[in-house]
Amino acid sequence: MIRRTFKLAWFKRNRYSLTVIAIGLSVAFIVSTLLLTTSIADVGEPLNEAYDGVDVVVRGPEVAAGDGPVAGITAPVPPTVVDALTAEGYEAVGFTSPYAQVLDPAGNPGGQDQTSSNVAEPWLGDSALNGFEIISGTAPAGLGEVAVDASTADNAGLEVGSTLRYVTDAGLQEAELVGIATFGGADNDPYTSTLLIDAGDPVFTPTRGFDYVLVAGDGEAVGTEEAAALAPGTEVLSGPAWVADQIDLLDQFLGFFSTFLTVFAVIAVVVGMVIVTNTFTVSLAQRTEELALLRLVGTTRRQLMAQVVLEAVFLGAAGTLIGVLVGLAGVNGMGWFLDLLGLTIERSNAISSTAIIIGVIVGMGVTVVAAVWPAWKATAVAPIEALRSAELEPPSASRKRLIAAAIALAIGVGCLGYGMIQGDILFTGIGIGGAFLALYLGADTLIRLAAVAVRPLLGRAGPTGIVASRNLERNAGRTSAAASALMIGISLIAFFTLMAATIGQFVAGDSADALSADYVVQGIGNQPEPALGDETLAALAAVDRVTDVVPLYSTSVTPLGEAEIERVGPGDAALGTAITDFDALTGVYEFTVNAGSLDDVTGTAVVIDQALADSFTLAIGDPLEVNTLAGEVELAVAAIVETSLPGAPQPAVIGDLDLGDALGYSEPATAAYIAGDADEAALTAAVGLPTIDVLTLDDYVDGLSSNLDTILALVYALLAVAVIIALVGIANTVSLAISERVGEIAAIRAAGASSRQIFWSLISEFGLLALVGVVSGLVLAWVSATAFFQALSDGQITYPETDVVTGLLIVLAGFLGGAAASWFPALVAAKADILDVLRAD
Amino acid sequence: MSTELLQPDGVGKGRSDASSDTPGDNVARLVGATKTFGEGDAAVTALDDVTIGFRRREFTAVMGPSGSGKSTLMYCQSGLDRLTSGHAYVGDVDVSTLTDQELSVLRRSKLGFIFQSFHLVPALSARENITLPVDLDSGADVDEAFLTELTDVLGIANRMENRPSQLSGGQRQRVAVARAMIPRPDVIFADEPTGALDSKTSGELLAYLRKAVDDLGQTIVMVTHDAVAASHCDRVIYVQDGRLVGEALHPTVDDILDKIRELS
Repeated sequence: MIRRTFKLAWFKRNRYSLTVIAIGLSVAFIVSTLLLTTSIADVGEPLNEAYDGVDVVVRGPEVAAGDGPVAGITAPVPPTVVDALTAEGYEAVGFTSPYAQVLDPAGNPGGQDQTSSNVAEPWLGDSALNGFEIISGTAPAGLGEVAVDASTADNAGLEVGSTLRYVTDAGLQEAELVGIATFGGADNDPYTSTLLIDAGDPVFTPTRGFDYVLVAGDGEAVGTEEAAALAPGTEVLSGPAWVADQIDLLDQFLGFFSTFLTVFAVIAVVVGMVIVTNTFTVSLAQRTEELALLRLVGTTRRQLMAQVVLEAVFLGAAGTLIGVLVGLAGVNGMGWFLDLLGLTIERSNAISSTAIIIGVIVGMGVTVVAAVWPAWKATAVAPIEALRSAELEPPSASRKRLIAAAIALAIGVGCLGYGMIQGDILFTGIGIGGAFLALYLGADTLIRLAAVAVRPLLGRAGPTGIVASRNLERNAGRTSAAASALMIGISLIAFFTLMAATIGQFVAGDSADALSADYVVQGIGNQPEPALGDETLAALAAVDRVTDVVPLYSTSVTPLGEAEIERVGPGDAALGTAITDFDALTGVYEFTVNAGSLDDVTGTAVVIDQALADSFTLAIGDPLEVNTLAGEVELAVAAIVETSLPGAPQPAVIGDLDLGDALGYSEPATAAYIAGDADEAALTAAVGLPTIDVLTLDDYVDGLSSNLDTILALVYALLAVAVIIALVGIANTVSLAISERVGEIAAIRAAGASSRQIFWSLISEFGLLALVGVVSGLVLAWVSATAFFQALSDGQITYPETDVVTGLLIVLAGFLGGAAASWFPALVAAKADILDVLRAD
Repeated sequence: MSTELLQPDGVGKGRSDASSDTPGDNVARLVGATKTFGEGDAAVTALDDVTIGFRRREFTAVMGPSGSGKSTLMYCQSGLDRLTSGHAYVGDVDVSTLTDQELSVLRRSKLGFIFQSFHLVPALSARENITLPVDLDSGADVDEAFLTELTDVLGIANRMENRPSQLSGGQRQRVAVARAMIPRPDVIFADEPTGALDSKTSGELLAYLRKAVDDLGQTIVMVTHDAVAASHCDRVIYVQDGRLVGEALHPTVDDILDKIRELS
């Protein structure tokens, strides 16, 4: 039977080729995603090797939580701790990881990218605490000599023996590049571009103690208890525990990407599965007569089932094989695309066999599972059907399906309503799921309604138009899955677009409108570093026609107490805090004051935004206890404003310059607002550092949502894969439907229809099919986004930013996509020789 | 070698001029028509230098054993298939010179087709199937009086709103006949039109085709195996191995059976 089934499947290879492609694309996507995810996860590995000589790590207690490679803010470890440990005979080195941005030979910031930190570390030579190893050149041997990690050297095009320029908080520096180093066997410390400098360099002079202290015993390992006794008021971890902690932080940051990619892989699988089910439904329906004939000559239903499922196994195997091969190649493509977006996700080169095994299981599994239901339905055919040339399917909608759709809709609407009113995300989610299911189940009815609705229009094109609309109506039960697949892709694209546009508007909108500064000066890439030193601020103030320079110092504090803040965007538990020359700020930023007075802002009396006031139910004069670098501090609410300063995230707390002292904050400014119609070139010259941008107000406002745009570009690219799979599904449905209709097409051709008329009839039929998918996808997305914001934003956002033009463009694109997908099969059908069909009788 | 009518049989010799390759009264004609399938050793000559004409208001049967080339003759004459060499004329137009678009227009305005397995469009009602060739012409209107007359005579007037799946085989074929007739074509090509029908139904259908020729002046070329069907025709031509091997005017069933026996 295996041979016979294989022969049958091979005989129909043309019919199944698009199915195989759809399966292949889905599998490829899964394999690429999993490979990328696992290789991303491996990035923390070098830390184990680099720090295997570290016995104990001392760090201060955490004062503000933080995500990503930049760990949460911890209180500094006093230099006395290092002295005490050293006095005991241990090797102890305190780290501050000061900012150091390497410049490439052309003078531009080089090294890695937006996602990496740019730091300087002391060169520790033979010490067990040294995670770096020189692989080319020599180690820095004194002031004026530096080394860089291999990845930075590679990216910035640096060569041993050349003069290297770099920027620190103290300004532009110059040194000789004497060596290139690896970190724990890898090209670099993950997500870090490291400049290795002699430990005696002034850049390492601690201003407020150390971030952490690495400790190693002299020949004998140091215990955490021994170290803790010498470092009161700090947190002491074993080396491995600290490394695990660091890897954990990396994973948290990367977990976002992994989850993100996995979600899209799942979407690709769902779309692929819908298409495989559809293919089997359509192709088995066409074979009713063949199946009935097999039943007539005595084949049992079980034998038929086995045959069909075996066919699925062959298809799954072919698709999976293609998918794994494409997936292996695709992971590099994905990495390339991420690089292109500036989201360099570091990854190892290891090929995970797990990823391939999962891909194979999913590819085979999905195909077989997707074939079972259509096979079960199709094999229920009565043998007598072989003798009848009955219509393949009654034109009326399946009542069961319609009832199920109605139930799903009722549940969906109910849950959505409840979720929106109560702000309950779970019910909102269930509601969105219900609406989705209703659309999926009701897709055939929608297609029938659409077919009937456009009939007068199509009818004007003559009988071929009528035929198009009637066929769409008649075959809706079978073709609806293709529309549903497209609906999934489009609804997700539209959903994310609405989310991004709305959040972007929320972030940039009102707060940016209130800003009247002429320029904003800040570190490149929208990062808190590099900082604007006092000399830089002074130089800016000295530029012609500059009327005011308002420095912004950014930090964060962790609120104490029970309230949990819910803010749109990445905020976590920490509250973004801006310290500034408040009087000057009011000159370039117009606050909408909801309560209190801006005149009262001084010392620990601060401005908070309405969102924070709502979350903590704070009123004027209320205390706000926070944990800071200087310990616990009690702030007082002097004023509540509608929206805070622009930024992502926006600072929730704004205080005057003397707040910095209260919070123990002494770093340089991270940005400055410039007032006055100064010359941009003059400002840039005054700054004199390639690591700091001078932005016009417009460029600054555009840039506010640029992070969001990057993420959105990634989302689009990934969803595009789902949409492409869906379009392959449409093409598949079209060619299957056409192969079923060759007789009909020949009859119309014999009656005098030109191939052009046939072609446009098919194109309009399947364009309409795609249109139904696209429109339902858009509706679903809009409802979901609205529900989502109503449930989550505490009434701050009631409706998503809706752009009707974009919506219409997507609709048009969907119709054109469907038409394009059916172009080739329709062309083949329209050009087919009438006689081939007539002779076949 | 040219196989031109009339050659072997002598019956109806007086009409040989009319059945020649000159335009004359012919609505369709083949001149030196040759059709070869395949290439090299595998080549099969389905039509071998055939020259024949079909006169206006004449009901012609094309007979011959399976594989004799009779269907190919019809397909090439109607422009559904292209000749390897020679010419196929409908009126004065050489169909081999027409583009696909022009052929489509020719089929919808000048030709009608009836097939053994009906080939109705399942998505369209009986009425829409019948008016299909006229509707395909955006400028043309259906001649309602003629449509009523046709459907009355064919006995399908009360089934106009039904889909093909709701009609019997005989009804479907009568819808196909009406579809072939509605544009008042110069010539109708019928390929085994009674092949899928029982003897009573096929008798009725043939009677109707006969009437169409006699009363409406229709020209019909019918490919058939069936001697009884052929006996309704004015003229029967015999095809064997791609050549014309005989012709008879108004033959009886026995005449036809004798001729077939003689050929095999």
